[in-house]
Amino acid sequence: MIRVENLTKKYAGGEAVRGISFSVEKGEVVGFLGPNGAGKSTTMRILTGFLPATDGQIEVAGAKLPEESLLVRQRIGYMPENVPLYPEMRVEEFLEYRGRLKRVARKDITERVGLVLDQCGLSDVRKKIIATLSKGFRQRVGLADALIHNPPLLILDEPTAGLDPHQIRSFRELIKDLGRDRTILLSTHILSEVEMVCGRAIIINRGKIEASDTLANLAKRVQSGALQIEVKADPVGAREKLAKLSEVGGVVELNRVGEWVSFEVTALPGKDIRGEVDGLIKRENWPLRDFRREKARLEDVFVELTQE
Amino acid sequence: MTRAFWTLWKREAGAILLSPIAWVLLTCMALINGFSFSQCVAYLGQGVRELTVMQIYFYIFHFWFLLIILVPILTMRLFSEEYKTGTIEMLLTAPVRDGDVILSKFAGALSFYLLLWIPSLLGLAVFQIVTHNAVPVAWIPLGLSYLMVTLVGMLYLSIGLFTSVLSKNQAVSAMLSFTIIALLFFTGFLSYLVRDPGWREVLTYIFTLEQMRSFSAGQFDSRPVVFYLSGTVFFLCLTQRVMANRTLKG
Repeated sequence: MIRVENLTKKYAGGEAVRGISFSVEKGEVVGFLGPNGAGKSTTMRILTGFLPATDGQIEVAGAKLPEESLLVRQRIGYMPENVPLYPEMRVEEFLEYRGRLKRVARKDITERVGLVLDQCGLSDVRKKIIATLSKGFRQRVGLADALIHNPPLLILDEPTAGLDPHQIRSFRELIKDLGRDRTILLSTHILSEVEMVCGRAIIINRGKIEASDTLANLAKRVQSGALQIEVKADPVGAREKLAKLSEVGGVVELNRVGEWVSFEVTALPGKDIRGEVDGLIKRENWPLRDFRREKARLEDVFVELTQE
Repeated sequence: MTRAFWTLWKREAGAILLSPIAWVLLTCMALINGFSFSQCVAYLGQGVRELTVMQIYFYIFHFWFLLIILVPILTMRLFSEEYKTGTIEMLLTAPVRDGDVILSKFAGALSFYLLLWIPSLLGLAVFQIVTHNAVPVAWIPLGLSYLMVTLVGMLYLSIGLFTSVLSKNQAVSAMLSFTIIALLFFTGFLSYLVRDPGWREVLTYIFTLEQMRSFSAGQFDSRPVVFYLSGTVFFLCLTQRVMANRTLKG
């Protein structure tokens, strides 16, 4: 659906995007991650034909950029950051206008507008003037606009920025729903959002791609989760024995409650230490009341990949 | 014309009519027009016989003053506002050609511009009624005068559209177009001063006031028509060039 090779964007002041390559296949929901100023919005603006690239090959929804820009724009639904809208128009009127611009057949316009109003939960405010809408509703109007011509590919630039927690939750559900029959590329710096909605993440930092993989594989890249155990044993001795295990990278004592002591045991990269630790506990006959593995969070991956 | 053009034109015209500027402009135009028209009538009352009321009206300072001030106010928001609020991004990521966007904005502004001159026609209508049609309306000179108003308006609006695409700041756009339009208008007056006949002819060619004088007297001349139309096309193309090279930060 999207194929980008060697994309570079230079500004007078420097380079915003430095020769990145990635692709998004049909049906995927991909998160485009990066700290502020990493080049996310610039890349998205180039993909939508709004900005010209300085160099590189780009193919979006089966058409080449910049040669077939009109075709690309016909096939994508784009929701820009901050969702700029015409404040003086009414919601319904605005969507009709956008539908006509996006070449929705005359006879289908009313039906399409009704459908996206419904889909985005806007039916109650269809007659309201956009200027009077809350931020959450405005985001929804932006999404409805992106959907009005039923495009196979959605490009959403920080779709949940500035929403309150309730709105974020319902917006995510909406995006999840849309991802069932569409390809979606969405940028964000809220990591939990990617974990909830996306199957794959592309992490970009200072104009370069740092990683592009499924969330599970990304999690493996950082220390593959720490093990937390709580046993009744001599703290010093237990710690030494744990540290001697062949696949253990480090042991930290977390807490003592009476005779109980808890440790965080980390594995060497790529190793699974659950079996080894379990074996030790059984051999030593330590009473055990907690044994769990912390999953590596995307946040850890992100911080590790994008730190200075 | 494409469907996109009409859709965009409708929204442009709608946006102008829904902005407070439109109604302030309409009111002020009607006021100044009425004032200027009554002065023309007063001038006729002093025993002038060789000019019609409309000839005086189109030659009088108020009219040109209005025209030069009016256009920058009308055009300053066309692109600047879209750049400032970011709606340009939404507009240009829809499958529309740059040409359609430019032409629709131009046509939207031109439609409102023409609407602004209607009060002057009402003035003439009242004048004819009050004088019991003592001097019948000379339709050809009247038509030519309004043709000239339209042509001059087209050139000035295209200049305003061009300066509007240059800046996100409406005041900057307005000041730039005001400067270009005023320079263009006042350069014509140099034809009174230069001695070199070649230069004088060039300056007469762009001397709007003289062209208006001959048009409102019923004398058609194709040279100004070519001048204003080609000037309009030139500035619309310039606008297109700037848009194609947009380098927005972000």
